[in-house]
Amino acid sequence: MTKPIDTSIYTAVTDAIRTEAQRILSEGQVSAIVGYAAARRKGSAQPIVISQPDDAAKLIFTPACVNNLAVYLTKAKKEIPKSGKIGIVVKGCDLKALSGLMGESQLKREDIYLIGVPCAGVLASTVQPATELTTDSIAPKCTECDAHLPTGCDFVPAQTPVAADLEKKYAAEITRLEALTPAERWAYWKEQFSKCIKCYACRQVCPFCFCEQCLCDRNKPQMVDTTPRPAGNTAWHIVRAMHLAGRCAGCAECERVCPMDIPLNLLNRKMAKELKELYDHEAGFEVLDKGPLNMFTEKDDQSFIK
Amino acid sequence: MQKFISEQNLNTLLDTLIAAGTRVVAPRMNAGTPLYEPLTSAAEMITDQLPRRSAKEAFFPVCEDIMTYEKEGQKVTVTDIDPSRFPETVLVGVRPCDAVAIPVLDAVFSWDYKDEFFLERRKKTTIVGLACTTADDACFCTAVGLSPDETKGSDLFLTPLEDGGYDCRTYSEKGETLVNRYPQLFSEPTGSKAVPLAEPQIEKFDLKKVKAWLDENFENPDWDSIATRCVGCGACAFVCPACHCFDIVDEGTEKAGKRRKNWDACGFSKFTNHASGHNPRDQQPKRYRNRIMHKFKYYDDKFGQTLCSGCGRCIRVCPVGIDIAQIVEEINKKDI
Repeated sequence: MTKPIDTSIYTAVTDAIRTEAQRILSEGQVSAIVGYAAARRKGSAQPIVISQPDDAAKLIFTPACVNNLAVYLTKAKKEIPKSGKIGIVVKGCDLKALSGLMGESQLKREDIYLIGVPCAGVLASTVQPATELTTDSIAPKCTECDAHLPTGCDFVPAQTPVAADLEKKYAAEITRLEALTPAERWAYWKEQFSKCIKCYACRQVCPFCFCEQCLCDRNKPQMVDTTPRPAGNTAWHIVRAMHLAGRCAGCAECERVCPMDIPLNLLNRKMAKELKELYDHEAGFEVLDKGPLNMFTEKDDQSFIK
Repeated sequence: MQKFISEQNLNTLLDTLIAAGTRVVAPRMNAGTPLYEPLTSAAEMITDQLPRRSAKEAFFPVCEDIMTYEKEGQKVTVTDIDPSRFPETVLVGVRPCDAVAIPVLDAVFSWDYKDEFFLERRKKTTIVGLACTTADDACFCTAVGLSPDETKGSDLFLTPLEDGGYDCRTYSEKGETLVNRYPQLFSEPTGSKAVPLAEPQIEKFDLKKVKAWLDENFENPDWDSIATRCVGCGACAFVCPACHCFDIVDEGTEKAGKRRKNWDACGFSKFTNHASGHNPRDQQPKRYRNRIMHKFKYYDDKFGQTLCSGCGRCIRVCPVGIDIAQIVEEINKKDI
C-alpha cells in the first residue's frame, strides 16, 4: 500500500541551509556554494552555484533535490571554480561520493565546506517534479539508505529525519535476477541495453566518471563501438560497471537520469554486493587511502587462480 | 476530406496494413518505455502517453548503415545502401509537436545536400497525427505558436471524440489515398463533440523578440547562470523532435565493416573538438548557448523557421532540470 513519506523537516532544513549559506558567504569562508534552487515547474529543483550572500535565499531542500552535486566539484566540470574553498549541499549518499573522490585524490577536505542534509528520501524521478514523496515514488536507493544523517560535515541542520522502514528494492531485484538462468539474464539485459541511445547522461552525472579522455570517446584506437547498437551499448555499460566497481557510492544518478529507463544502478549494486562479499568493502563516509581494488592483501580471495 | 473512424476500425486498419506488409510505426511500450516503434499488431499501440523519443527516428534513425565495405586480398568492395528498398510506412498516433517538426527537418535534409536516406523514408511514409487532450507543465507547444490540434506535418489527422472514435481529416494526397484505399473503415462525420484539447500553461512567446535578443547576445553573462549546471550529456538533443545533428563512424575490422550515421549532440564536449585539440566551445555554457541559438536564431536565419515545437521532452529528461521554456520565457521578458 502506498504511504506518504514524512518530509515535514525539509522546510526547517531549507531555512537552516539558507542561514548557514548566508553566513559563510558573507564571512568569506567560501567563494561559492553548490546547492539546489527551485525552477519554473511546480515542485521542481535544479542545481545552482551561488556566490552572493543574498542568493542564499534561493537555496532549498525538497524531495525533488535529487542530484548528486558532487559531480560539480570534479575536474570534469571545468566551469565551477576550483580555487578557494567551495561550499556544497550534500545528502548522505552524495557525501559518500565526495569521500570516494577524496580517497582518489580528486578533492581535498580542506577545500570543501560540507553542508550536510538530514534526508528522509528524494524522488525516484523528477519527470513530474510535483509528485508527492511516497513509498512508491521514493528513489529505490532511499529504500536501502544507511546515510539519512551525514556525519563529519562542517554544518548539519539540527532536524532528525524520520526514516521509513521500506522494502529494499534493489536487493529484491538483484535476488530476482540472480535466480534467472544466464540465458534469461542475458535476454533481460539485451532488451534493456537495446534502448540505449548513447546520450551518455549516465556518464555525465557520475561523480566518478571524471576521466578527461573517456575510453569510449577514443577512436584511435577505437576501444568500444560508439554506435548505439547492441555490441557497443553492451560494451559501454559493462565497461562503466567495471570501472565503478569498488568506487561507486550508490547515488544512483546514472539510473535516475537515463532517458530510456535502463536500470543501471542494478549493475552497480551487484558489483557492490560482490565487493562486500570478496573484500568486506562498502562505500561510506570514511575516506580510504586506497580502494579495495587498488591494493593487495594476503587475505584477498585467491580462488580465481586455478 | 472529413470522415469518422471508430477505435475498432482504426485497429482493423492498422492490422490490415500490417498484414499487407506495410510497416506500421506507432507509440508502443518497449521494456517499460513508450517509443515509436514498428507494431506487430494494432493492439500494441498506446495513445495515452507521449513517446520518450520523438517521431523523427522514423526518418532519421538513432543509428543507420550508410555503406558497407569488404576486403579480400587487395580487392576492396564498397556497397552503398539502397534507399529504394526502404519499406512503405504508416506512422500513426503522432503528436502534433512531433508531426510539425518533420517538415521543419525537410528544410535541412533537402538543402544543399539531399539526404537520400531521410528523403526516401519521408516519401514513403504517411503520417497520421493525433490531437493532444492532456498536457503537463513541461508542454509548451502553444508558446511557440502551435497548438494541441496543429495539423502541419500530418497527412491525416485524428481528433478523439467524446462519444468514442475519431474525427478524421485529410491534409494531403497521401492522407486521401490511405482513406480511399479502405473506404469501408471510414464513415461520414458523426457531429459528435471533440474531447477538450490539452491546455499548455505557458504564455505565447514573441519569437521575433526572442530572436532579436539572441541576435545581440552571443556574449552575455546569462549563459553562465543558465548553463553552468549543464552536465554535457546528449539527452535533450536525442529526445528532441527537431535536433538533427549526426556523426559518421566506420565500424568493423580490416576485412569488413560498415559506415554508420549516428545521432550527435552539441552538448557533448567532443562535438566541436578540433583535430588540433582546440575546442572553440571549451565550456559547457557555450555548448548550451548553441542549443538555444540554433533553435531560436540560426535555424530561423537560414530557413525562416523555429527549431522547437514545444514538446517539452528536453525539460522532462534533463538530468539537472534545465528548462528551455523557462529560459525562452525569461529572454522574452527582457527589455530590448
